[in-house]
Amino acid sequence: MNRKLGALGLVAVGCVCLAHSAWIPAKARLAQLLLAHAWERTQAEGVDVRPWPWADTHPVAKLSVPRLGIERMVLAGISGRTMAFGPGHYDGSAQPGTADNIVLAGHRDTHFAFLRELAAGDEIHLEASGGTRQLFRVEETQVLHESQASVMEPTGRAELTLITCFPFDAVVPGGPLRFVVRARAEKILISLR
Amino acid sequence: MNNRARVGFRIQGVGFLGVLLLLAMSSTAQELGPAMKPGDAKAGTLLLRTAKGLRPAPTVHTDVQIEVTGMIARTTVEQRFRNPSDEWIEGIYVFPLPERAAVDTLALVVGGRLIVGEIQTREEARATYEKAKKEGRKASLLEQERPNLFTTSVTGIGPGEEVRIGIEYQQDLRYDQGGFSLRFPMVVGPRYIPGAARVGTARGTGWAMGTGAVPDAARITPPVAPPGSGSKDSSLNPVRIRVELDAGMDLARIHSPSHGVRIQSLEGTRHRVELADPSVPAESDFVLNWRPAPADAPVAAIFHEEKEGEHYALLMIMPPDPQRAGEERVPRETIFVIDTSGSMHGESMEQAKRALRLALARLQPADRFNVIAFADTTRKLFPHAVYAQPTQIDEARSWVDGLAAEGGTEMLTALQAALDPTEEASRIRQVIFITDGAIGDEARLFSEIRKGLGRSRLFTVGIGSAPNAHFMAQAAELGRGTSTLIGQLHEVQAKMAELFSKLESPVLYDIELGFDVRPVETWPERIPDLYLGEPIVVAVRLPELAGSWITKGRRGGKPWQVELALEGGQQHAGIARLWARRKIASLTGSLYDGADPKTVRNEIVALGLRHHLVTRHTSLVAVDVTPTVPAGVVPDTRALPTNLPKGWSYEHVFGELRAREQNLPPAPNDVLRMARHAQHLPQGGTPAAFLFWIGLGCLLTGAWLARTRRTA
Repeated sequence: MNRKLGALGLVAVGCVCLAHSAWIPAKARLAQLLLAHAWERTQAEGVDVRPWPWADTHPVAKLSVPRLGIERMVLAGISGRTMAFGPGHYDGSAQPGTADNIVLAGHRDTHFAFLRELAAGDEIHLEASGGTRQLFRVEETQVLHESQASVMEPTGRAELTLITCFPFDAVVPGGPLRFVVRARAEKILISLR
Repeated sequence: MNNRARVGFRIQGVGFLGVLLLLAMSSTAQELGPAMKPGDAKAGTLLLRTAKGLRPAPTVHTDVQIEVTGMIARTTVEQRFRNPSDEWIEGIYVFPLPERAAVDTLALVVGGRLIVGEIQTREEARATYEKAKKEGRKASLLEQERPNLFTTSVTGIGPGEEVRIGIEYQQDLRYDQGGFSLRFPMVVGPRYIPGAARVGTARGTGWAMGTGAVPDAARITPPVAPPGSGSKDSSLNPVRIRVELDAGMDLARIHSPSHGVRIQSLEGTRHRVELADPSVPAESDFVLNWRPAPADAPVAAIFHEEKEGEHYALLMIMPPDPQRAGEERVPRETIFVIDTSGSMHGESMEQAKRALRLALARLQPADRFNVIAFADTTRKLFPHAVYAQPTQIDEARSWVDGLAAEGGTEMLTALQAALDPTEEASRIRQVIFITDGAIGDEARLFSEIRKGLGRSRLFTVGIGSAPNAHFMAQAAELGRGTSTLIGQLHEVQAKMAELFSKLESPVLYDIELGFDVRPVETWPERIPDLYLGEPIVVAVRLPELAGSWITKGRRGGKPWQVELALEGGQQHAGIARLWARRKIASLTGSLYDGADPKTVRNEIVALGLRHHLVTRHTSLVAVDVTPTVPAGVVPDTRALPTNLPKGWSYEHVFGELRAREQNLPPAPNDVLRMARHAQHLPQGGTPAAFLFWIGLGCLLTGAWLARTRRTA
């Protein structure tokens, strides 16, 4: 009887875990859809729009990689809660649309899974609120230890730094390694909408 | 048996898990491919968004030829628009011209043919241009956005084609401290646009939206190219400059504080000056100074022109040198105002601080002073002006050292604080305003100066490689003071010393001019106080060039007068236009006095049409007779990016706008969070995979347990 209960308990826990593991990527996708909608309104109306009524964050930029057909809505801040919905903009770094090191971080298995496919020479576009659009070109990708935080510091050059966890396929989250993409601004378009 | 079976299943289970794991890995583990070659977009090409996606922007090359005769310069600017795209486009270029430039010619060069532009009212010219655009003709339009800011539009530039347009203007040169100075502005500094953004009102292609205070923001804020976006050999919007200088007198010195130049002596008193680097990016205003040999320094000059039965003259007179014994230094009240907005970040802020330190050092204990710093908000060092005792000076010095450039440029409150009438009213009061003038709401500031000036005198000090010279000059004129432009760090000392020796000794004030003939119309109407080393320069219209002109004023409390015969002088084309240009400037200024806008407008239109001048209300338009654009093709509109002025820091200019939009300083716990993050790279993985495997493990183990129970 005890054994049966134990078995049932394990099955129940397993179901919950599986459901949760399925919910994480689903939530990540759904949030991006809502964010894209909020972003469109942000750009059209010139005010920050909350993607859903109880959201504690708002989109600050749109990141896209034309070669991979990738589009991601970037959120303000890099707390765990924020990053469940989209890559976050590290608020201690340069604002999107400005000419210093702009740091974005995202999850390696959802929004930033595409980082592994980036290579030197790839184009990355970043559209900031207000319509300013920057074109970056990937210079290098590297694997760093989490203590090598200097890549997040201002550099005085217009750059984009994308950070995610490494290795990409690690099962247990929270490892000490980070995958970092460095891109250099090549063009900027400050446009009027 | 039982045990074996259990172990066997376990092994099978682990194997199954392993296979799953391998499958999962192989499905996502694409190796990083070989490094891709950078794409075919060229460095230095700016992309602009169009309905059809990103497209390269047209580039513009500028050739400048300046001919100087005496104190008058005539400049030809040739702009070559190149269309790098494969579509028919329209190019729009915002560019600065010198303060008081009288722009009278626009020419469009198409396939070796020269099409000279006509003057029309702004609306007519715009309609003519739009019609030509619709009919597929090449056309060009030259409009004035600000007295020193113009736009050229060129339509019908074919794929890969180059179109040349020429612009000509005339100006009189500044003669001060015994030297002449010529300035060719190269860049439009990004302007701070105050007021809340008004959505959907702007027509134009600039980076700012129209706001309540600056409705035409979109027209005066061209896109800005980031530093380094132009590579060395193909820099964005390069400029070539050549000056043919005939000063009409022996020169002691010619030099350019802004650029390296090659100077060639020609026959007589002629010189040719060219940039040493033949093609520089347009990122810093070009300045050329020359100084007559002491024996040749002019004390008076007359340039005149007869046009349609009327005589026009430009008159200059230099009051005798006031260096006499016994002239006492008058105690003053000096208010220093320093701009600490984001646009000042970098070299400009260093220049400003240095200028201020020099100024503080020159104060005498009998003087009173105060320092006001402004960005988004205005801060006063002392609540009221204090005596310049050593302790106060020290306090001011360390306060100034601690100033940092950040935030917007809300100049109005600073100006009000500086002109505050509650301060003590008995002494000479001089307000020294140190700024780059990167603002868009000039009109509100000018009107404030008119209203609040009282007995104060306003002196503007323009800082940086591209100060807004129009604002500096107009503010100083309304403030009955002078403006000083400082382009380079090493000029600060000399220029500030000049300014302060000036301020310490007003040479001539309450100035009036008299003529024998009548009627006479002189511009400016009110002659500002004269300081050391400055001449009086006026443009007059009179029925004939005869009799004498009398200059009266007061110096050191006593009346002073000089009389000169109105004869001889040099005949010079374009004096009438200079007169008209000055009259237009004064008419525009009268708007801040509450003149009727409609009357002023009509007068400006009449002057513009009569003298063939580009003004706020008249534009030049040139249209090709033969259509060249294929039928059915509508040229795409492109704005041309201008370069960011040298020494301006990109991040602080545009960072400032972002900060303003968000208007939220980070909350304390945000700062803590940021500090914590800064020590470690952020985490970038979800527990999804972990949960998946744990969940799968539990499920399988549970199922297995249930099964073994049944079989046991």
